[in-house]
Amino acid sequence: MTPKRNSNASRRDFLKSGAVAGAAVVAPYVITSNALGQNGVPPASDRIVMGGIGIGNMGRGDQSNFLGRADVQYVAVSDVRTNAREDARKKVNDKYGNSDCQSYNDFRELLARTDIDAVHVATPDHWHAIMVIEACRNGKDVYCQKPETRTLREGPLMIAAARRYSRVVSGGSQRVLEDYREVVNKCWSGELGPIKSINVNVGPLSKYCDLPAEPLPGDIDWEMWLGPAPWAPYNKARCDGNFGTSGVSWRSYSDYSGGGMTDWGAHHFGGATFAVDVRDLQPQEIVLHNEGGKQYVEMKYPNGISLTHNKPGAGNLAVQGTPGETRDAKPVPTYKGTGGIYGDFIDCVKTRQRPFRDIEYAVNSVIVSHLATTAYTLQRSLKWDVEKQEFIGDEQANRLRDTARREPWQI
Amino acid sequence: MLDQAIQALRSYDWGKDYESIKPIEDAVVATHGDVESVKSLEEKLAAVLSSDASRAAKDYVCRQLRIIGTAASVPAIASLLTDPELSHMARYALEGNPAPEAGATLRDALSTVDGELKIGIISSIGDRQDNASVEALGSLVGKSDVAIARAAATALGDIRTVEASQTLANCNSSDASVNAAVADAALSCAESLLASGNKAAALSVYKKYSTAEQKHVQIAAKRGMLAALAK
Repeated sequence: MTPKRNSNASRRDFLKSGAVAGAAVVAPYVITSNALGQNGVPPASDRIVMGGIGIGNMGRGDQSNFLGRADVQYVAVSDVRTNAREDARKKVNDKYGNSDCQSYNDFRELLARTDIDAVHVATPDHWHAIMVIEACRNGKDVYCQKPETRTLREGPLMIAAARRYSRVVSGGSQRVLEDYREVVNKCWSGELGPIKSINVNVGPLSKYCDLPAEPLPGDIDWEMWLGPAPWAPYNKARCDGNFGTSGVSWRSYSDYSGGGMTDWGAHHFGGATFAVDVRDLQPQEIVLHNEGGKQYVEMKYPNGISLTHNKPGAGNLAVQGTPGETRDAKPVPTYKGTGGIYGDFIDCVKTRQRPFRDIEYAVNSVIVSHLATTAYTLQRSLKWDVEKQEFIGDEQANRLRDTARREPWQI
Repeated sequence: MLDQAIQALRSYDWGKDYESIKPIEDAVVATHGDVESVKSLEEKLAAVLSSDASRAAKDYVCRQLRIIGTAASVPAIASLLTDPELSHMARYALEGNPAPEAGATLRDALSTVDGELKIGIISSIGDRQDNASVEALGSLVGKSDVAIARAAATALGDIRTVEASQTLANCNSSDASVNAAVADAALSCAESLLASGNKAAALSVYKKYSTAEQKHVQIAAKRGMLAALAK
């Protein structure tokens, strides 16, 4: 899957080499104070050189955040939609007052650039694993929008790639830390005593997409939008990036997304697993309950904590502790650096620490959505072997651990 | 109701009456633990693959056979592997099928397709961690088609056996991108070898790449060496 090497000189190495001063190659007429690092701006050679892949919708916001940082030099964008791609490129060039930002239809060309240190990925979910793994193989650090995985198989491969190459790979849910502080603080302070359970209300599951063909607009590379997903005809609602999960966006359809279950699920399950401190664990049992005609799933962790999904009568992130008991308080983990989750990522790129939403924590959050989805789909309870990453004694469930991947894409 | 749904499937296409075929999904779930139900449903679905049903209908069948397919449906699915429109869905159905016939069919297809379809077959073989394909994959790494060579190397990294590692050790290409894929696959195998206690074999891989040109590969190898020596 690795594309041909880009023969462009490494901009960052170039800046570090002192070649500018030696003028042995074509040098800018005027070296700006920005390039030299005055007025509180780090010199260009000390900035993190970044590119963005999937630059509409969520990617646009991610780009703004990274572009707004003085310690980031933003140099490239990739998107399969021409208008989004060129708008994003213009935004960068307007910011820096030059025309240096390059744009690519094919993300592999961006990843092959040796001058880029880190990328952010905000494509539809069916692309995440391929792009994150390929970025790691190219020595890039990655900020990946949530939900980080589309299938159960993808998570361990993404973690392996990140660890193999010592890459900083951050998941993209800022809400995990920022939206559930009250619950998190109560749990971590010990005032609720030993935690027994927490509930998450979220949905719906994604579904099969049966939309008919529509005329293909001129500004989208449809084959690249689909990428590894099973081939299907263009339809605006199939690929629209809006946040609906009721049939009006790719978030509704199982070839591209897990639906609300993984989309908001990444936030809620991420917050819940953080609050009850099971971020480094995975459930071993997924129990499908039927209570008064309403189904809900209970996931049991090896430490005895239960995480329920849509339990009747339970509020979102409702925690059940042990009344009358307390336990020792623990310091609540938080972001490093400044600037929220984006600053956390950039700080970790510089210091080589693991970010707050390290890919392993992110995978363990989204896996909850995938496990529950499998139980609902098959209408039965399941057991999960964390070590082997397979369901115990359920061949059909194991076959649902991954999705189809159209050639030539592989992970 | 199921027979009506199967009948509707024969004329189904994207944008047509999806509700009419949905009972098939319920039937698939209901087959759990019932060999006779699987056999009956599988036979009905496989028959659609050899009919003049639409691409959408055959795509849909492959999704269902992914869940319940046995050796019985392998021949019908295999006929789609050479179809550029449906090869990926056929592979999807075969990848998940534990029957040895599914693995053998994918191995056989390696010599019957080319270009991107061959890359797909290679990918599925890797997904199945089919150790019997190691030699064939190794020979593809040396081929002049770099996309196929890269895919074969990646598949060997998915298989992650001693044999895959030994095969990768002998792979060398004049193309940098193929060598990068070989390095990634070799490191993947080394991780597996180390985890299974084969420290010497893992160290051999790590030493080879500890002087790699790409810094992140070098770091990976040096970290691997430290991990191996600490064991």
